[in-house]
Order: sequence, then C-alpha cells, then structure tokens
Amino acid sequence: MTQPMSPHADRLTVRDVDLEVVRRGSGRAIVFLHGFHTLDPGARFLELLSRRASVLAPSHPGFGASARPDGFETVYDLVHLYCEFLDGLPDHKVTLIGASFGGWLAAEIAASCPHRLDRLVLVDALGIKLGDRETPDILDVFNTHPDTVRRLSWHDPQRSAPNFDTPSDEALTRHARNLEALCLYGWEPYMYNPRLKRWLGRIEVPTLVLWGESDGVVEPAYGRAYASLIPGARFALIDGAGHHPEFERPDALADCIFEFLSC
Amino acid sequence: MDAWWMCEVPYPHVPKAVLDAADSVRASLPNRYCDPRVAADLFEEVIDEYLLCDEMGLNVCATEHHAGINSLVGSNPMLVSILARQTRKARILSLGTLISLRREPVRVAEEYATADVVSRGRLELGFVKSGGTEMASANANPVNNIERYWEAIDLIGKALTHQDGPFSWEGKHFTHRHVNIWPRPWQDRLRMWAATGDPHTAAEVGRRGMVHTLVLRGHEGTRRAYAAYRTARTEAGLPPASIDNFAYSAFVCVGDTEEEGRRVGGKLLWFLNTSLKSAPQYAELLPGTAPPHIAGQAWRTRSKAGTGGPGLVNAEKDVATAQQNARKLMSTTVEQAMAQGILFAGNPDSVFAQIKRFHDDVGGFGHLTMIGRTGFMTHAESEKSIRLFGKEVLPRLKEIEPVATAHGSRLAVN
Repeated sequence: MTQPMSPHADRLTVRDVDLEVVRRGSGRAIVFLHGFHTLDPGARFLELLSRRASVLAPSHPGFGASARPDGFETVYDLVHLYCEFLDGLPDHKVTLIGASFGGWLAAEIAASCPHRLDRLVLVDALGIKLGDRETPDILDVFNTHPDTVRRLSWHDPQRSAPNFDTPSDEALTRHARNLEALCLYGWEPYMYNPRLKRWLGRIEVPTLVLWGESDGVVEPAYGRAYASLIPGARFALIDGAGHHPEFERPDALADCIFEFLSC
Repeated sequence: MDAWWMCEVPYPHVPKAVLDAADSVRASLPNRYCDPRVAADLFEEVIDEYLLCDEMGLNVCATEHHAGINSLVGSNPMLVSILARQTRKARILSLGTLISLRREPVRVAEEYATADVVSRGRLELGFVKSGGTEMASANANPVNNIERYWEAIDLIGKALTHQDGPFSWEGKHFTHRHVNIWPRPWQDRLRMWAATGDPHTAAEVGRRGMVHTLVLRGHEGTRRAYAAYRTARTEAGLPPASIDNFAYSAFVCVGDTEEEGRRVGGKLLWFLNTSLKSAPQYAELLPGTAPPHIAGQAWRTRSKAGTGGPGLVNAEKDVATAQQNARKLMSTTVEQAMAQGILFAGNPDSVFAQIKRFHDDVGGFGHLTMIGRTGFMTHAESEKSIRLFGKEVLPRLKEIEPVATAHGSRLAVN
C-alpha cells in the first residue's frame, strides 16, 4: 500500500480572481467557507469531511494565498464571486457549510441564489444584527485586547488557541493577511449586513445551525435566533467548542454535519 | 526659515497609577479622568501662548488627535477658527484635521474656507494620516486609510478652488453630488502640507509639491523621506523643489541658560515616554498598519534569536511602521533626544546652532514646526521659551533663505 500524498492547496480561477482551494475526497459535493482563518489542507475537519464527500474549501480573496483584485473589498463582491463559483461547479447541487465570517457569506448566498444548494450548514455564523443599538452581538476582535479575544474565542484557550511563537514567518504573514482581509470586509457595519435578517426567510433548503457552546465571540443565543429566522432550520450546540468548532472539536462537528446530511 | 509654534493641548493630569494600570492612554482611557475645568484652564493658557507667538513674530500650527491624554484638540478646525479670529499677523497652519477619519470632507472644506476668510488669508492646510488608536475612536477602517486620505485631500482641494457652481464627486470613498461651498476661501490657492515619514506617502507628497514635514524622525529618517520626495519629483519629470517645500517638527525649548533650556526641555519628553502608550490592538496588531510580512511578526510574544524583539523583527528600513518609530522613542532621554535631533534645547545661541546643524545635515528645510509645550511644562515656562525664541533665535533662522536644490545637497545659505 502506498503512502497517501499529504494534501495540498490547489488553484482555481473564478472570473478574474485567482483562488487558493483545498480539494479532498469524493462523493457528494461540499463547499466549506472558512471563518477568520483558512484551514490547512491537512486539517482534521477537512479530512473527516473528505472521507464521505468531495470537499472544496476556497480561501476568500485576500486570505491565505488567494489574490484580492483592486477594488474587491466588500461582502457584496464575495457573495457574487461565490455564486459564480457555485454556478461553475459540475455538480447540480452542493452542500454549503460556512463558519463564522464564512457563515455570513453562506447565509447571504443561500438567501440570494439558493438554486445550487441542497443543504446549508451554518457554524457560529456572523452576519445579522439582533441586539439593540447599544448592545453589540459580535465581539470586536479588532478593538479588543488580544488576550480577551483569545479567552472568548476558545472553549479551552490553553489547549486550543494558537501559539504564535512557533509558526514560521510565512505562517505569520498568512495570519496577518487573513486579518487584514477580514478587517477590510467586516469593519463596518461590524460583521453584519443590516439587510440580511429581512431576507433569511428566503432560504428554502434544509438548514442546520451549529454553535460552539462556549462561543464568546457570538453567543449561542444569537445562533438560536439566527436559526429561528430560517424556515425549518434546526439548531444544535457543539460541546467543548468556542467560536471555532472546526479547529477545536472537528470530530463532533463532522458527526453533526453527517447526521444532518444522512437524514 | 520660518518657525511655527504648536501645542497639542495634552492632558497630563491623570494619576500616574491610573496611567500605569491602563493598557492604553489613548482611545480606551475613560473620560472621567478628564476634568473639564482643568481642560478649560489648559485651553486658555495655550491659546494665550498662541497669541504671544503672534506678538513675537512666530507663525502658529494646530494639530488634532482623539480620545487620549496626548491631545484635547479633537477638532482641528475649531482651534484654527479661534486662532483665525484672535491672532493678527501669524500664518496659521492646520496640521491637521485627521481627514481619513472624517465622513464629510466637504464640510471640512467649508470650515477651512470660513477660517481662511476670518483670518483674511492666513490659513495653510496640512494633513496627517492618523494613528491606530484613532481608527478605533473614529470607527475608521484602518486597511484603506491611505486611500481615504488622498481622496479626501483631492475633494477638499477641489471644493476650495472650484468657483463655478455645484460640482459632483462620486469617488471610491466619498460621494457628494452638489459641492458648492460658501464662503469661498480668501486665498485662491491654499498651500498644502503633509506630515509623513513613510517613503511611499512621501513620494506622493513630492509629486503633488506639498510642503513635506517630518515629525520627530531624526537625521536619518528625515533625510530618507526628503530623498523619497525629491526622487519622486525627478522620476515624474517635475522641476526640483525648493527647500521651502520641506519642514521639520521637533521639541524646542529655550532658556536663559543652557541648563535651564535643557531642564525645562526635558519636560517635553513626556510626550514620548507617557503619551504614546497604546494597547497592541490599536498598534502593532491592528490590520493595515504594516504590510502582512511585517505585521505577522508582531504576533510573536518572544523575540526570535538575533532580532530586536517582538514586533521589531524583519522591520525593513523603508517600511518601519509608526508604531515601531513610537516604540523607539518611548524611553528616550534628553541627551538621546538632542543627539537624535528630536529636541533642540538650551540657551538661545545653542538652540540656534542645534537647529542650523540639523538643517544642514538633512539638506535644508524652510520651516521648523516646533512642539513648544507638552506634558507638565507650565504656562510660565512655555511663555518664557516663546519670548526667548522669538527674540533671540527666530531672527537668525529667518536669515536662512530657501533655495532650490535638486538632490538634497547642502545649498542652504545663511
């Protein structure tokens, strides 16, 4: 038996945008839209999905090694890019999974062009405004001390939060690039589209909303309310996870997703 | 050479224990620590000092900063307007409204035009790029800050010169379909300034022929930025700039004796060692403030072997960030500050000699924008320094004539 090659990121061009994309596995098509940070091609979560599905995980323009053309700097641009990306896939229908910032994108895509989706999974998704005008729903990760962001982002920061002293220079450059792109897209209104809540009712595909039980970036109550705005959506908590279950509890997250996909 | 006096109206009267405990003295320090009665006294003293400058033949300069102990001037056009009415002879430099933080450049143009009219044509317009804490306090996206900066300057420039009825502006960051300001400014064309040590911005300042000022950048940083300005003009096929297009900002304190000038001048270093304290999320970890290959390194909590420390690694000379510059300045002593050319202090002869030496060393400049008061320097100390400077130093500086210089060679004549 030959040793499988370690997975690597591929390239894909959508219109004029050159994207880094992880392709793994075979079977039903799953597109994963990442959150604040891209997933490594060898990430446990992608590996688990790829055991039973054909997974495509692009890095958003400006994140990872994906190009960001001049003037491409809004969620509007991202939604249109991914609608075009989905239209270009050979599969008739795909399952769309979006985490955090990618969950916002997935909800926008599902509300505006649902015809290419068979299922939707939102994981600790951002994108809507629920609280009153003096109560932010989403932790400001840019204007808050990094120690606080770290504490609120993970169920077990000690075990799960990244250690920034060990990565290579290249990995840290990638980290900074991700945050720069996130800041550009999400600065104002901070991580939500004031119009999206009104249109979530248009989402017609079966939807699962999953939430890290210890998410302090955006709390489970927000996730429950998010699910209630999508017709027929189910909501479930992931034990032992904060805002990034795909990093912190990949097995539990993948189990929930496959249970949803098999029903 | 012209001299411009300025004070940022800092608020140093917060207990040291509070400042030590705070992770930032800007953006997040609660304003309950700012007593408005004390603030009123500070404004009164400082405006009186500006009036004394006017009397002594100095020009005046006003800055703007937000939500911190370093400055209570949150709206530059307000202070500029007061100076426009209260001074009589001095030229007034706005340096400046933090224009990339303002949503309405046209409104800023209206405010400037009004101040120019009130002063009967004594206003000059400078622009500054803003710091990281101000991105938080103004809710301004730090990633495309520089784009907003230039677009706002273009829009203000057009609003101040267009006299033919409403024009439309549909830019990337600002849209305004009906721009037609009243009054139009007294001056047909207001001289524009920009403060930057970043060579990329300096090059654009050069192509536009604005007055280029360097704030506390010392010998090497100043030479490098002036060179970027000149090179950009040469490459664009533009004529060489006069040294009147160059300015330098430093702390200045003049005493009767060398000892007095240095002792009181030492108080100005409060700006460096107390008022720059900023939390990492407003500084090195804020996206957009440095290119990712430098910004990424700031996340290390331990220095890599053979490097200067966390956040300073890989800092290429020509892209050192404002934060890196700030960190270098925080622990500066009087002797170091004088050696670096960021503090000119002593008796009148000595201060003149220090300025002249720095001027010659960096290739000449036509304007000294002097930070004359900050920290715990008293009103009396500030006024004494202004009088001595105006009487003993300024006449000699004025004899340094601006000359055209293509390559930064030492052509200044005295």
